[in-house]
Amino acid sequence: MQTVYYIVLVPMVYVAFAVFFLGTAIRIVKILREPKNPSTLQIFPEKQPNWLYALSDTFFFPTVRRHKPVLWVFLMTFHVALLFLIIGHVELFQEFKIFQIIPHEVFLGKGFVGLILAITLLFFLFRRFKSPTKELSVPEDYFLLILLFLIVIFGSQMDWARRWYEYGELTVEDYQVYLNSLLYLKPELPYNVTFTGHSFMLVLHVFFANLFLMFFPFSQLMHSFLALPMNKLRRG
Amino acid sequence: MDNKMRDELLNLFRSKINRAMRYYLETCTRCGVCTEACHVYNSMGQTKYIAAYRHEIVRRLYKKYFKARGKIWPGFGEAKGLSDMTLEELFDAAYSCTGCRRCMVFCPFGIDTQMLMSIAKLMLIGANAEPEILTMLADTSIEKGKSLELFKESFLTGIKNLESEVVEKWKIEAGETAIPVDVEDADLLYVALAGAHSIIPAAVVFNAAREKWTLSFFEAVNFGAFVGDPTRTKLIMDRIIAEAKRLKVKEVCICECGTAYRVMKQLSGKQPFKVSSITEVQAGYIREGRIKLDKTKFTDTITYHDPCQIARNGGVIDEPRYILDNLTDNFRDLTPEPKYNWCCGGGGGLVALGDETLDFRMKSARVKVDQVKATEAKILATACENCHTQLSNLNDHYKMDVAVRFLSSMVADALLPQ
Ligand code: SF4
Ligand code: SF4
Repeated sequence: MQTVYYIVLVPMVYVAFAVFFLGTAIRIVKILREPKNPSTLQIFPEKQPNWLYALSDTFFFPTVRRHKPVLWVFLMTFHVALLFLIIGHVELFQEFKIFQIIPHEVFLGKGFVGLILAITLLFFLFRRFKSPTKELSVPEDYFLLILLFLIVIFGSQMDWARRWYEYGELTVEDYQVYLNSLLYLKPELPYNVTFTGHSFMLVLHVFFANLFLMFFPFSQLMHSFLALPMNKLRRG
Repeated sequence: MDNKMRDELLNLFRSKINRAMRYYLETCTRCGVCTEACHVYNSMGQTKYIAAYRHEIVRRLYKKYFKARGKIWPGFGEAKGLSDMTLEELFDAAYSCTGCRRCMVFCPFGIDTQMLMSIAKLMLIGANAEPEILTMLADTSIEKGKSLELFKESFLTGIKNLESEVVEKWKIEAGETAIPVDVEDADLLYVALAGAHSIIPAAVVFNAAREKWTLSFFEAVNFGAFVGDPTRTKLIMDRIIAEAKRLKVKEVCICECGTAYRVMKQLSGKQPFKVSSITEVQAGYIREGRIKLDKTKFTDTITYHDPCQIARNGGVIDEPRYILDNLTDNFRDLTPEPKYNWCCGGGGGLVALGDETLDFRMKSARVKVDQVKATEAKILATACENCHTQLSNLNDHYKMDVAVRFLSSMVADALLPQ
C-alpha cells in the first residue's frame, strides 16, 4: 500500500504537472500560431475601451447574469471559491504576507469555502440532468464535474477534520514539508503524511487532482485561458 | 462515403481552421446559456436548434479528426466519424441557422455560430450537398464579372427605361443624367440589387442631395457568402472592388442588402475608398442639410427591424434611427434593443432558396412576429432585401397587418423640395 501511496504522491504529481504545463503551453502556442481571421468578429454596438469590457466579460460573465441569473450566482461563487482555494494551496508551501492582509489560518474561509465549492459543483452536475442542458452535454462534462467534486470533497475533508472535529495528526506543517520537498525536487514523505488515519484522503485528493491536471490541456477546461482572447474578439 | 471523399472534406474543414476557429472549437462548456438565444429554438422548441447543439455536430468531427483525444478516447467527448448521416446533420444545422449571431451575444465566451456553421457549409459544397441554386446564382454573378461586355448593352437599356421614373420624383437640371453609369472620378459608387425598387428611390435621393454618383454594373448580393464558399465570396466582391478602383471613386455605397454590406465592409481589406451602407449615406445627407424630409408624409406608427448583418454584425445602428427621427414623430423601437434584436428568420440564404424554405421560415420566426406586434406599429421599415422579403412573407402568413417598407424608399417618398 505504501508503494501505491508513494507513486501517487510523488512520481504521479510530477507527471501531472509536466503534462499540465507542457500540454497547456504547447496547445496555446499551437492555437496562437494559426493565422488570424481575415475579418473582424465584433458584435455591435461597441463600447470603449473595448479591452476593459473584454476583461469584464471574462471575469464577471455579464451575459450569464442577464440570461441565467441563478446560474450566474453559482458560477461566480464557484470561481471565487476556486480562487480562494488556489491561494490556500499556495500558502501550503509557505506564508505570504500579501495573503495575510486578512489574517487567517491557512485556507481562507474556515472550511466553508470547500463546502460551498462542493455545493456549486453539485448544482452544475444536477443541472446537466435536466433538458435541454442534458442533450447538450457530453460525457466529458459530467466526468470533469465529478472529478472536481471528488477532489474538493477529499481535500476539504482534511481541512474540516482539522477545524471542525479537532483531528490534529495531519498538520499544516506536515503538508508544508511534503510540498516543499516536491518543489525542491527532494521528495520526502513525512511519517504523518502517509501513516495517519487520514492519509488515504490525502492520497485520493492528490490522485484525483493529478488526473484533473492531466486532462486539463485537452479538454474544455482550456476556457480558463481562452476566455479572454475570445471576449476580446467579440468586443473588437 | 469512401475514404477519398472523406479526406477531401476534412481538408476543406482544415482550410477553415484559423485562430478564432480554434477558440470556438475548443472552448464551449455546454453551459446552455445560449439556449434561449436562437429564434428558431424559441419559435419551434426543438433541441437541435440550440446554438451549442449545432456547434457540437461540427465539433464532434473536430474532436475525432483534429485532436489526439478523438483517437485515444472518442467516447469522452462523443467524437464521431464523418459519414453520410453526418452530412445530413450538418445540412440541417447549417441551413436552419441564419447566421444572425444573436447567440454570440449570449455566450460567456462569445462563440460565433456563424463561423462554425461556415465549416459545415463548406463541407457540404465539397460533398455536392449544398443547395445547388445558391452555387448557381453565385456562379452567374462571377460570370457576369468576367464577361461584362456581354451584359453591358442590355443593362444600359434597362437603366435608361428607369430614368423617367426617377425624374418624375425629383427634377434634375438639363444636361444631367438621372442614373449615371460608368462615370469616372465620381465620388460615390452605388451598388444596387437587380430590380427597380433598389435603384429608383436611391437615385432620387442621390440626385436630391446633388451627389456625384455612379451606378455599378453589378448587383450587390453575394450568393457566395450565403452558400459559405470563401472563393466565390471573394470573386463576387472583387468585381466591385475592381470597378471602384477603375472609376477612382471615394466611397462605395452598398444598397439595402445586409450580407453584401458586411462582406464589403469587413472583408474587402484596406482600399482607397470607404464602404458605407445606403442608410449611413442618407443619414449623412440629412445631417449635412443636403436633403430635408417631410414629417407629415407618414402618419402611422413606424417601427424598424435591424437587419442582423447591418446592425449587430455591421454596426449601423444609430443611423436608421436618426433618419426615422427626421421622418416621423411616431417611431416606436422594438424591444429588446438592437443587440438582442430577433432575426427575421430569412438570413443565411434561406430567403434566396424561396418557396423551398417558406414553411420553415414561417415557423421559425414566430418570435419575430410577436416582437413586431408588441409595438402596434402600422409600418415596419427595414434596410435589407432579405429581411424585407421575409418580413413580407411573415406579414401575409401571420396576418400582421403592417406595411413592410424599405427605409430608403421612405426617405425618397418624403423628400421636401429645397
Ligand atoms: S453559451 Fe457558449 S459555452 Fe455555453 S453552451 Fe452556448 S456556445 Fe457553449
Ligand atoms: S446564429 Fe442565429 S440562427 Fe444561428 S444558432 Fe445563433 S441565434 Fe440561431
